[in-house]
Amino acid sequence: MQTDELISRLSQDVPPVRRVTPPMQAALRWLAMALGVVAAVVLLSGFRHDLEQRLMLMHEQVNLLAALATGAAAAVAAFHLALPDRSDRWALLPLPFAAFWVSGLGWGCIAEFIERGWPALRVSFGCMSFIIGFGVPLTLGMLWMTRHAARIRPGPVAALAGLAAAALASVGLSLVHHLEAAAMVLIWHGGSVLLVMLFSRIWGKRAMRAMDA
Amino acid sequence: MSCAALLRAGSLPAGPARPAGMTLDGHVADPRLAQEQRWGGLLAAAQTGDARAYDTLLREVTPRLRQLARARIRDAAEVEDAVQDALMTIHALRHTYDPMRPFGPWVTTIATRRAIDRLRRRGRGAGRESNLDDLPESAASVAPVAEDRIVARNLRDAVAELPESQRTALRLAKLEDLSLAEASARSGLSVGALKVATHRAMRSLRRRFGVGGEGEDRADR
Repeated sequence: MQTDELISRLSQDVPPVRRVTPPMQAALRWLAMALGVVAAVVLLSGFRHDLEQRLMLMHEQVNLLAALATGAAAAVAAFHLALPDRSDRWALLPLPFAAFWVSGLGWGCIAEFIERGWPALRVSFGCMSFIIGFGVPLTLGMLWMTRHAARIRPGPVAALAGLAAAALASVGLSLVHHLEAAAMVLIWHGGSVLLVMLFSRIWGKRAMRAMDA
Repeated sequence: MSCAALLRAGSLPAGPARPAGMTLDGHVADPRLAQEQRWGGLLAAAQTGDARAYDTLLREVTPRLRQLARARIRDAAEVEDAVQDALMTIHALRHTYDPMRPFGPWVTTIATRRAIDRLRRRGRGAGRESNLDDLPESAASVAPVAEDRIVARNLRDAVAELPESQRTALRLAKLEDLSLAEASARSGLSVGALKVATHRAMRSLRRRFGVGGEGEDRADR
């Protein structure tokens, strides 16, 4: 088919289309939905017994806020990056927050190590299943909302969607589940978030294409 | 907004902010910017169902798409394929354009992505292809045929998804037309393994494309 013929075919039937929701608005919608889901689970599971004491600690507050900021920034970045006319540099938006979050957890590990030696590490698959269990559906929700990115930047958008969803799930988990060692938080929270992000980076492209078909 | 209305000078929808290059009286000094602004208006009209505006836009923007594809691809037929891919992407993503924003970056990203995709596919297939386009006698026969391209692309994708051993066997035995002994020497696979791999590759391609003919898939040519 010649290009002229293709143009004629494409412009033969052009039904009106509804424009995509502006990215900030879409991000806020998704964040409201995600926070609603996580809050409902937190309320149903009940807060951890030592939440009040933990929230009095500055580093706990900072870690929690950093995780929340990472999730929110990743969501905003994903919705912007899903549009063709936005800069690739939107992908960098969550990096400072994520770096701050991870470094906060890392600092906690070092402080603990100096204070009482290497803390006993336990396996905590509960944390992992919570983050994956809530991270994956929330990621799929965002992939559905950004499915038009399948033809433009599916990989980065999917990775950011995974990061946003898993970071918010991690915030929820911090409110319901007690992990005594910062190293445990780093390994199980951080590791699970990374896992959801990687899953999404690898499989998200295919999911978006299927949703966009 | 109709196409005719847009074609009249100064009938472009005004954005909330004055874009770079626009003077205070609304006149756009930079012709490139003025053109992009006009295209943005045409696409905004197309979003409401104005087929004439859409046709005008696609025809006017095609040279720009070609220019963007040529910046990355040298082969003329591949350039045209990338242009057609970009047109189809514009069609699929026309709802993502925000008329309040400049049209240039929107269309540039689409054209660039499609050109990169073409290059990647080309890179993947380069080892198995000869560049016929370099031959002068083939210059007149490179008119792009969309259906053929889609079939070829599907076939390339299907071959790319085959296991490595089947791909190698298929390339040597079917595409390079080597005898089993030569193919075996080249690949390091035994003649038996080559036969099995070629047979499996053909069977899986036939199954995928719904082609029958059990008698054709014999590898022991």
